[in-house]
Amino acid sequence: MLGFTAFWLVSAPRPLPASAIPAHAGNIANGEILYTAGGCRNCHKSNAEQAGLDPDLPSGGFPLKTPIGVLYPPNLTPDAETGIGNWSDLDFVNAVQRGISKSGQHLIPAFPYTSYAAMPVEDVLDIKAYLMSLPPVSSPSREAGIPIAFLLRRGLGLWKFLGLDTAPWQPDSSQTATWNRGSYLVNGPGHCGECHTPRNLIMARDGSRFMMGGPHPEGQGKVPSLHGLVETGRYKDQKDLVLALQNGEVFGYENMSSGGMGQVQANMAKLPQADVEAIAEYLISLK
Amino acid sequence: MLSRNLFKSIAAGTIVLGLGFSLAYAAADDQIKARQAEMKANGKAMGALVAIMKGEAPYDAATVKASLDAMAAADAAAGEAKAWDASSMEGATVETWAKPEIWAEGSDIGAKYQAWVDARATLAATTDEAGFKAAFPALGQACQSCHESFRRPKG
Ligand code: HEC
Ligand code: HEC
Ligand code: HEC
Repeated sequence: MLGFTAFWLVSAPRPLPASAIPAHAGNIANGEILYTAGGCRNCHKSNAEQAGLDPDLPSGGFPLKTPIGVLYPPNLTPDAETGIGNWSDLDFVNAVQRGISKSGQHLIPAFPYTSYAAMPVEDVLDIKAYLMSLPPVSSPSREAGIPIAFLLRRGLGLWKFLGLDTAPWQPDSSQTATWNRGSYLVNGPGHCGECHTPRNLIMARDGSRFMMGGPHPEGQGKVPSLHGLVETGRYKDQKDLVLALQNGEVFGYENMSSGGMGQVQANMAKLPQADVEAIAEYLISLK
Repeated sequence: MLSRNLFKSIAAGTIVLGLGFSLAYAAADDQIKARQAEMKANGKAMGALVAIMKGEAPYDAATVKASLDAMAAADAAAGEAKAWDASSMEGATVETWAKPEIWAEGSDIGAKYQAWVDARATLAATTDEAGFKAAFPALGQACQSCHESFRRPKG
């Protein structure tokens, strides 16, 4: 009984208080860059079966296969009934940075809030401002194809208690401004470590093997290490890596398409030149 | 006695069955090797074309033709070796990075393959640098889109 009470207390959702939301005028242009770097649309796109929906909008419903079952990431357009039209800033920040839904339930970390937690709140509000600028699409969400979703969600609280790192991203003052920009994009919105950093026994990212690659989190094949990209001869220099991130296999770079990397690469191609250069500068510094 | 014979024949049957399986897997090994050889040849041919695309090598119609011919030859050799038959899904000793989804119901591997064949034909019909550079991305996209769906990452 004591154990169960402890579980119940420890596993309860811990939302941010309203005071955590600063007064901030949303910057739509910055929001769009972070939305692209964050790959939000890759998971929240519409289901191909729902004819007539604009595939460029994040109206949700496309099946996301995970080792625990199929999830249907919900509608992020500003539709009041089925999207985030009625969400407060606090609702949105709690979902994206703490993995807590508007109704107060734990969200499954296939949604990489574990990385988004490192972003400044202002950047998350900019993403919301961008989403609110999109046309609303009516597309109701679909329950996850996981039989014990209710218990799983509560159990996630315990996992978060042990494994959710909510420390904000910190700049390194010994590095250049562009390196820091790259570090932020990679470790915050880009959530590159969700695949490139292997997981430990409790399925949290293992900081001691940061970006060292390992088994693919979705279960097929292996994710390469991002250390020594130049030293191991995979890329000539920063410029070569920029070309690879922007063009992927279209320019013959062979390791940029499988296991979900193709979508990440397509997002990199849409980022401003300076941001891709910053990402490459940061990546090649991982020796 | 009877039971003893029965046992013997079951044992023999198991051995034959087992042998059958390992023969099948050995054949799959060869098919997988052929598929990977096809793809390595693709990668090599692609390298020469990408060099032109990036401006590292001058445009040269003969290089373009030789590279596309190499891809066509690799494609034909793989067909010959039955490198894409469902029997090549899993090998005995050779590891494959092809996903089993290739052979699943509703798979669009055929369309992905056709896109590659078409992109090669379009590129082969170009006669100058501008035409080549305009047609090239479709070839790269054909490689990318098949790998995105049907190849596991090697790590
Ligand atoms: C790897 C896939 C993935 C990516 C990338 C992703 N999401 Fe999600 N997201 C999900 C899944 C899955 C859920 C639902 C989780 C659940 O049901 O517990 C979700 C849920 C949400 C929710 C809660 C919605 C609701 O109705 O409860 C919000 C808000 C959200 N995501 C916003 C974002 C934003 C903003 C980004 C980009 C910065 C993003 N997501 C990127 C997979 C993803
Ligand atoms: C969904 C999982 C996933 C995410 C998220 C992800 N990657 Fe990858 N990445 C992979 C896989 C898998 C490969 C290997 C692909 C292949 O071999 O075709 C890869 C390959 C790469 C490579 C090529 C490595 C080499 O050996 O040549 C680079 C560089 C890279 N990723 C950078 C990034 C960056 C930067 C981000 C974040 C913006 C990122 N990745 C996010 C899964 C991911
Ligand atoms: C119809 C699907 C398809 C197309 C089109 C395709 N590939 Fe592949 N490729 C695969 C599969 C599947 C594998 C994994 C093969 C295996 O391990 O059995 C692969 C593997 C590879 C490899 C790794 C080979 C190795 O074993 O080291 C390279 C390199 C490659 N492909 C290059 C290319 C290039 C370049 C193109 C375009 C010119 C291309 N591929 C077009 C399906 C495709």
